[in-house]
Amino acid sequence: MTLSSQTVLEPTAYSMMALGSDLWDEHTRPRRSLVRCQTPNGRWPAFIGDDEEGSWATALALIALRNYSENVPAQLKGFRWLLRSAGKESSLLWRWKFQTADRHARFDPNKFGWPWQPRTNSWVVPTAFAILALNQLSCTCDLEDSEQRIRRGIEMLLDRVCPGGGWNAGNGVVYGGALAPHPDDTAIALLALKNHSDEPVVPKSLEWLEGTATTLSAPWSLAWAVLALAAYSRNVRPLVGFLADLVGHIDIQDTATLAVVALALDFERSLILLAS
Amino acid sequence: MAITRQELLVGGAAIVAGASVTTPFFRPRYRIKRCPARSRVAILHVEDYSRPIDELLFSGLRLFCINVQGKTVLLKPNLVDYIPGTALNTHHQLVVAAAEAFRHLGARNVVVGEGPGHQRDTQLVLSDSGYEGELKLHKIPFVDLNRDELIQADFIVSMPKVKTHHWSGVTLSMKNMFGVVPGNKYGWPKNILHWSGIQHSILDVCATVPIHFVIADAVMAMEGNGPLNGSPRPLCTVVLADDPVAADATCARVMGFEPDRIAHIHEASHFLGNSSPALIDQAAEALRVPEVPFQVVPEFRHICAI
Repeated sequence: MTLSSQTVLEPTAYSMMALGSDLWDEHTRPRRSLVRCQTPNGRWPAFIGDDEEGSWATALALIALRNYSENVPAQLKGFRWLLRSAGKESSLLWRWKFQTADRHARFDPNKFGWPWQPRTNSWVVPTAFAILALNQLSCTCDLEDSEQRIRRGIEMLLDRVCPGGGWNAGNGVVYGGALAPHPDDTAIALLALKNHSDEPVVPKSLEWLEGTATTLSAPWSLAWAVLALAAYSRNVRPLVGFLADLVGHIDIQDTATLAVVALALDFERSLILLAS
Repeated sequence: MAITRQELLVGGAAIVAGASVTTPFFRPRYRIKRCPARSRVAILHVEDYSRPIDELLFSGLRLFCINVQGKTVLLKPNLVDYIPGTALNTHHQLVVAAAEAFRHLGARNVVVGEGPGHQRDTQLVLSDSGYEGELKLHKIPFVDLNRDELIQADFIVSMPKVKTHHWSGVTLSMKNMFGVVPGNKYGWPKNILHWSGIQHSILDVCATVPIHFVIADAVMAMEGNGPLNGSPRPLCTVVLADDPVAADATCARVMGFEPDRIAHIHEASHFLGNSSPALIDQAAEALRVPEVPFQVVPEFRHICAI
């Protein structure tokens, strides 16, 4: 893989999370550029220079800016946009379509979350990141819809689970065929469901992820698995050792992967930022 | 809950757009005209993916006037996800054989690039599907089109896996180009391309990013509920073409489909290439239509030739 010279929101946000708020010098510049590329309406584009429609990366930017009190106005604008953003199936006509005319993908359109980009359906990863971002809102923020949207998002994740546990990109069943779960999507969904461990799909999905994690040969998926399993107090020390060994042999040139690996290797601190 | 006027308008427009995917096809207007006077297609019999595929492919490419001397060649395989036991992705041996063949033909650089449409962990797809080791062994660089920037390519080779597709009927060399659209903006899957009308989106992407050559992997193809959950179907065939429309029309015929009933192939034949057998010079093996067409989901039974 090759390095990109473009400022992209996803790796920038992970990198800020990984560097932590105690490394001011290192991340002052990315933080400034992150705040600067927010649009007046509060949303963040996927990369600098992209159109201003906003994207799933808004939730990531909000998580990355969590510990910076001087950016609170920017964060509030971002939260307001996030609360207005919803999967297309949330509108009445589309709900009706998915309930009657288009039943190929098995899902309940009443349970909706967040899309990758405006005017598309809800998907697992953007919904999970939006829930993680909104969970950080304090009760003094006066954003009334947040609890309801979080609840709806949780319902959406529970609805889209794969039949054997874990999550694919979106629906668990399409055209009657069960889709296989993805390790990273499953891990990110589990992080968002951390406060809902009594839901039966959670232990089932954790079990699947724990079994799969030991077989993973790619640092991105393994790092996310470490973070999710650690969030549920599973013993991840052997996996962390395996991850450290793996990255010692691979030349990771993708910044997003590198940052997520750094988050996983320092999982105790990372979880305070990501999922507390 | 009350319906707002905006919801009514947006919903109504979306229903019309959705219906256009499976029923009448509203012809978009494209200003380009890229149809060659004649197109060339070669059908190669390839029993399996073992090593002689290098020689077969090189001989096949020599049936065409390909000038890649000093050029950067981008090989764009179809890598979606990894599901054991399925014929989901373009086989890595075919990609390696293509890279070696283009090097022999004088290419300055050969790069493999793909932005998997379903799995965010590209490295996982590469390692589990056998690509990582083979690309490393043959020193072929890989670019993740979902996240990296691609250096300029002079010659783009679409290398689809020949499959049925439950939203577009088939996924061949033109649909394969969805992989050049970056996931870090459009998501996984690139859902906006479906919402905008999948057949139109295929045409838009191919009108924007030209395909210079096609190497289609139908050694082990996929039928039924593709592109992810279909069943493997051996065809022992590799289709080469200097025109993506001719390639896809030929692949459709090899699958037992009538290409003009597949909306994007039919529409592309007006401006991107040739689908009519009268305009296609056939080389190597003869085109054999199967007695039993590939299985498709019910919405696409009308594309079967028989």
